[in-house]
Amino acid sequence: MTDANGRSRRRFLRAVGAAGVAGLAGCSAESVGDEATTEPTAADTDEPTAATTTGEPTESMADTLVVATYPPFVNAPSTSPGAWLKREFESEFDATLVYQTPDSELNYYIERAVQGVDFEADVYVGLDTGQLIDVDGQRGEGQFTDPLFAEAGAIEGLDAVRDGLQFDPRGRAVPFDTGYVSLVWNATMDDGEFVAPETFEELTRSEFAGDLIAQNPTTSTTGEAFMLHTIDAFGADGYLDYWERLQDNGVTVLGNWSDSYSAYLSEESPMIVSYSTDQVFASAEGQDLDKHQIRFLNDQGYANPEGMARFADSDAPRLAEAFMEFMLRPEIQAGIAQRNVAFPAIADAPLPDDYAQYAKEPPESVTFTYDDLEASLDTWTDEWARRFAGG
Amino acid sequence: MDRRVGAALRRRVSDARPGRLLRRARVAGPAALADRFALPLLAAVTALLLAVLFYYPVATVFVDAVVEGGRVTFGPLVEVFTDEFYLVRVLGFTAYQALLSTLLSVLLGLPGAWVLARFEFRGRDTLRSVTMVPFVVPSVLVAAAFYATFGANGTLNAALSAVGLPELDLLPSLGAVLVAHAFYNAPLVTRVVAAAWESVDAGAVETARSLGASRRRAFRDVVVPQLLPALLTGAALTFVFTFATFAIPLALGGSQYATIEVFIYSARRQLEYGRAASLAALETGVSLSLMALYLRYERAQAAERRGVRTLARRSLWPDSWSRERAARRLAITGYAVVVALVFVAPLASMLYASVSVDGRFTLDAYRFLLERQATGAAFQVKPFPAIVNSLLFGAAALAVALPLGVAMGVLTTRRFRGRWLVDALSMAPLAVSGIVVGLGLLRGLVFGFEAFGYRFTVTGAVAIVAAHAVGAYPFVVRTVAPPLDRLDRALVESARALGASRARTVLDVELPLVWPGVVAGAAFAFAISIGEFDATVILAEGGGTYTMPVAVERFIGRRLGPATAMGTVLLAVTAASFVVIERVGGEFRG
Repeated sequence: MTDANGRSRRRFLRAVGAAGVAGLAGCSAESVGDEATTEPTAADTDEPTAATTTGEPTESMADTLVVATYPPFVNAPSTSPGAWLKREFESEFDATLVYQTPDSELNYYIERAVQGVDFEADVYVGLDTGQLIDVDGQRGEGQFTDPLFAEAGAIEGLDAVRDGLQFDPRGRAVPFDTGYVSLVWNATMDDGEFVAPETFEELTRSEFAGDLIAQNPTTSTTGEAFMLHTIDAFGADGYLDYWERLQDNGVTVLGNWSDSYSAYLSEESPMIVSYSTDQVFASAEGQDLDKHQIRFLNDQGYANPEGMARFADSDAPRLAEAFMEFMLRPEIQAGIAQRNVAFPAIADAPLPDDYAQYAKEPPESVTFTYDDLEASLDTWTDEWARRFAGG
Repeated sequence: MDRRVGAALRRRVSDARPGRLLRRARVAGPAALADRFALPLLAAVTALLLAVLFYYPVATVFVDAVVEGGRVTFGPLVEVFTDEFYLVRVLGFTAYQALLSTLLSVLLGLPGAWVLARFEFRGRDTLRSVTMVPFVVPSVLVAAAFYATFGANGTLNAALSAVGLPELDLLPSLGAVLVAHAFYNAPLVTRVVAAAWESVDAGAVETARSLGASRRRAFRDVVVPQLLPALLTGAALTFVFTFATFAIPLALGGSQYATIEVFIYSARRQLEYGRAASLAALETGVSLSLMALYLRYERAQAAERRGVRTLARRSLWPDSWSRERAARRLAITGYAVVVALVFVAPLASMLYASVSVDGRFTLDAYRFLLERQATGAAFQVKPFPAIVNSLLFGAAALAVALPLGVAMGVLTTRRFRGRWLVDALSMAPLAVSGIVVGLGLLRGLVFGFEAFGYRFTVTGAVAIVAAHAVGAYPFVVRTVAPPLDRLDRALVESARALGASRARTVLDVELPLVWPGVVAGAAFAFAISIGEFDATVILAEGGGTYTMPVAVERFIGRRLGPATAMGTVLLAVTAASFVVIERVGGEFRG
């Protein structure tokens, strides 16, 4: 399809959608590819109010929902929620769920928006605060003028989302699960004597020299979370000095989580910055849980909530909304949490009783708000990199 | 030596050529004209492919270095170029580690070329065929394999402590980064130099010996000059590759060993496109300048030869032993130990990781592959399509890159002003950051470009093949051009004088004389295609055109099993393909 057609189709749908006539959007979604060439000029000039009078406000929905997400959500070798979620959704709704898993994740869609190229995705699953800031920061670049995501509005189940997980001040992203970054440690090392420190301060003591593997905050999500946790603990003025002490104490900072986990498994060091759900995998695979102990430094874990949001240009806004409500249902929340090895975004998801035995939640959760990160994240990361990276 | 005579002849011939060609074209009519333009046509196709698949996409990214908010300001570029941190510390370290990596790769690769080219033993052909295998191993698997082999709890330390020796703390370190770089690039040096060594003219060596030169002297004065260009080719390629290294230092070194590519990656991650493009421009500038310098040298070195009879190989097990022979065999044994440690052990530990969990033998990982193949959802990555795609893309990329590379090689051996510049530009696919190429392909091809009121997009299998071919053909040029350049022009001119067309001369005279280079180039091209990840994963768009390395990446998890099992499949398929390529290549020649 040519670009001109695509864009006018979008305008057409927006005009109609704004008036709340979901029915028209649903009908045209089937055959827009052919009809868009003839329809849009007329529709373009229509005022939204005019559309209301011509369209019938039925509740019929589009028959295809395109869900964009990061590859492991559908493809992880151990367990991933993608296939199950699709089955559950399709068994209930008269629609097909199609996944899009571009390698550059949300950046792929931001790029498209900047270049002014349409895309099919209706919902993005797997947003974090940083990505949301990227979206907003890029707006105004190139042809990216209209908002990428729509506000979620008062969708069903939203009020059940736990306090502290909401990370979008503008109400577009709705959290659907969360993870915590913590230390994972190996109690079998030092002839079974090793015990991880309990606080950030203790971590810099000489008895833990060379004992920690972390990740580079500029290239890794867990690395970034750990750096942010140190900023929370020591302040923006103090975290670099703390890292200096970590450095003097022989911390190993590798590029990404999987490299550093390889190093941890080969017992390079007894501690690694990782996820607090580590034992879920270890127990499922019959591994020695002593090698997969969890430690929340200062009794805190850095929370990384994952959100979903509807693309503002979606052809199927009603279906997308239904999907988001579906995602927040207690039994779906429990299903996602178990298959994504994370924690539900709502409090009363029916998880198996032993889930908490292996998936550890910190006594206190720490996270930075959208506003904090928007103001300072790049500066913090750059300062860290200039001090500790590059030859 | 007939060097001076040859040079004089060449001058005469090249002076005479334009007039003669025109005359011939005029006399012989359209067929000869077509023949005359066959090579330029191929060059035009190459240029077009490069423009669409490389220069245009890459330009869409580099433009961010000089344009801000629609105005040409050079702002981001100036910012990076005046930042001491990037310009001195990051760039300095990047060059430093690339230099050390290159030296180590040459040191480890050169003896391999000697053994492969000068000794005869069972399985030599197969061994030579599979030398390039390390080249295609995904870096995440190399990192995991290095930890499993050289790590605190790895095989090496287990072996050391079993014989009562103290354990070594080798990882992570700069040394580990260098060895991993050598793991990738020493085979490249071996392959390129072995090809040159196999083309050394035995007659010239015998002449030197008969004129009283000692063996050592004959080696230094006759053999070395013929190996040097190949050695420098290998070294220059290694430097350019390790200059743009990214995953290995992050995994095996740590953040203090972050290279410029790491900063490009994190700038791209923060959507700081201006900074990413400027850093990439800096990186490409250094790489291309080096390439250009090297190419000028390569041309200056071009010495002509007839090269028809190659050196006879000695048996690895001599009939009788002398002190010198024993010393050589001892050296080879020592080298074999190093090869076993640096190349075989990591690959073996990868294999081991695919069949074990916590020291217990299990085929779970392979069961996972079969299960995924049998029951995986349509949107999931499955092993079998990955194998088929990789092979198809590899074969197709080879079919495109080989003629393009040979044509470019033939053309750039012509003498014209600024040739080294054209040459260097044609090498650009090697010198531009993979992140930039990936982003460029996304912007330029996947999103498409507008023309005549339409938006043209290039996605899917064709784009992947084209991207692989563009990435691979410089290797063919580099393995084919130096020996072509050293070919005795008189041979070519004789063929032409006897009535052979230009294309026929290339096929019947020039190519057979440089055939080891062509086969080596083919192996490289295939290896590049099989191992390519950055562009493939973008052009596959999460759809059905994923390859084996993409599958490996998708199967990475907390456990190593699934990814290493897929990696083992990748290695097996690649090794078998290399053997087939060389066999077919060998037969085609004879």
